[in-house]
Amino acid sequence: MVREPHAGQKGETVGVAAIVVEDLHKCYDSIVALRGVSFEVADGEVFALLGPNGAGKTTTIEILEGLRARDSGRVEILGFDPADRTTSRMMRERLGIVLQECAVEPFLTVREVLARHAAFYPTPIPVDQVIAAVGLTEKADARVKSLSGGQQRRLDVGLGIVGRPDVIFLDEPTTGFDPAARRDAWELVRALRSHGATVLLTTHYMDEAEALADRLAIIADGAIVAEGTPASLGQRDVGSVRIRFGLPDGLAIADLPIAAVTVDGYVEIETTDEVGVLHRLTGWALSSGHKLPGLTVERASLEDVYLRLTRSAVLR
Amino acid sequence: MTTVASSRGGRGDLALIVSEIGYEQRSFWRNPFAAAFSVGFSVVFLLLLGLSGNSGHIDFLGNVRTVQYYVPGFVAYGIMATCFNVLAITIVSRREMGLLKRLRLSPLPAGIYLAALLANAFIVCVLQVAVLLLIGRIAYDVALPSDLVALVVAVLIGVVTFTALGIAASTLIPNQEAAGPILSIIFFVLLYLSGLWFPLKSDSALARISAWFPVRHFMSATFAPYDPRPGTNPFAWHDLLVLGLWCAAAIAIALRRFRWEPRRT
Repeated sequence: MVREPHAGQKGETVGVAAIVVEDLHKCYDSIVALRGVSFEVADGEVFALLGPNGAGKTTTIEILEGLRARDSGRVEILGFDPADRTTSRMMRERLGIVLQECAVEPFLTVREVLARHAAFYPTPIPVDQVIAAVGLTEKADARVKSLSGGQQRRLDVGLGIVGRPDVIFLDEPTTGFDPAARRDAWELVRALRSHGATVLLTTHYMDEAEALADRLAIIADGAIVAEGTPASLGQRDVGSVRIRFGLPDGLAIADLPIAAVTVDGYVEIETTDEVGVLHRLTGWALSSGHKLPGLTVERASLEDVYLRLTRSAVLR
Repeated sequence: MTTVASSRGGRGDLALIVSEIGYEQRSFWRNPFAAAFSVGFSVVFLLLLGLSGNSGHIDFLGNVRTVQYYVPGFVAYGIMATCFNVLAITIVSRREMGLLKRLRLSPLPAGIYLAALLANAFIVCVLQVAVLLLIGRIAYDVALPSDLVALVVAVLIGVVTFTALGIAASTLIPNQEAAGPILSIIFFVLLYLSGLWFPLKSDSALARISAWFPVRHFMSATFAPYDPRPGTNPFAWHDLLVLGLWCAAAIAIALRRFRWEPRRT
């Protein structure tokens, strides 16, 4: 497990954690779904949980939502235990949830649905403000069943925030969104964060995690296999880089000054000493008069890290 | 009703239940299936059958006028359609759409939600019964029974029993697509066997089959106050007792099997 230090993550610098998950275990009959999941989300942080289907993401979220009982471990959301029924209403008054499936009463209008849900909370956001925030002003008096799929999802997001939540769970919030709606949703998450809300996000999209999350964790095979900031996850900031270019005309790979391999018709060099290697390579090219067509230097993408970590966990 | 602590206190809960009933009412009347299948059908059937059987009499039921048989029959139909059929389909589709799960995840207490759902069915039943009795009175000169209390008791027991049966049935149906066809077939076969359209002698083979099911007992209980035969008790205690047993069984099933989340396949 890889853990990177993060400014203000733990200890004295920033206050309490909004979400604490400690050594969470869960079995379904004989299948082990979670084998000791632990993470913390600081107050006001956007935290993304990534992982392939069946890795334990949904089970973790459902335990946090209070829908499923854990076998062992500790869970706290704003100091509440989601399994404690006597405090569940107070917890839910401060918790906003956006589910994967659109689940809204089809025969009510957008405004009615939001007003109905607003009445469940002590200090809701004014309904018109929510409608504007999710971009449904023109559809405010349309019945839900007449909305497009994307509009229903946006209404769903609206239902998640109408109660002015301190903690928000977004379960794949932009699946099925077109690129513009996706950007709008991202802006909304950033706006929520700037108002101090803590966001727990699950997503399949690496760019989404990279764009939104302060920190993220990768879950695979029922355990957290990596945790860190988008920039540092899986040591991608200190790991090897890939140098890539086309083989200069008339040369063989053995003529190069550095050991290399060919991949998809390109020469590739993997190294942790990118400065030294580039220096030797470009020095040799300049002095011998060769070009290095299409030269690129690439750091492992978040997706590379994700695939590496989730694959090795499955193979384990 | 279980309402757990809220940071805004319990005072808002009464307002919450009233507003929930309001939204249930809007959902119900705007849903063409729900409104047509229950209230629409019962009114149209009563009007059509009343017209065609206006002058007829049923000799084996004390020569009662056929319309006088149909009025309590369609009161029973309307209650069963509303509380059993429409309610069960509504619950299944809300469950499978994830609507129940979403509400479960909101601070709305389950007790308030269910109370509003049941209150909604009750309001629809009361309105419907009033309309049907009014049609009977105005169009066909079917007077209210002299023992009105007996009719009210039968209606209330029917509402409770078929609501419980509707919730129980919803827990046995796996998905939205199956809900309408399965429930409608069961319901209409039982209605036919119970003599809603064609009155049955109580010693007939069909009546003996349908005596095992709650539909015929409920129809008998609503008809009893209208039964002209001398010596008939307007309170059909035997039928009401059978309904009570079905109600108890339905509650037991509902408590054991009710789920807020969609069934995973």
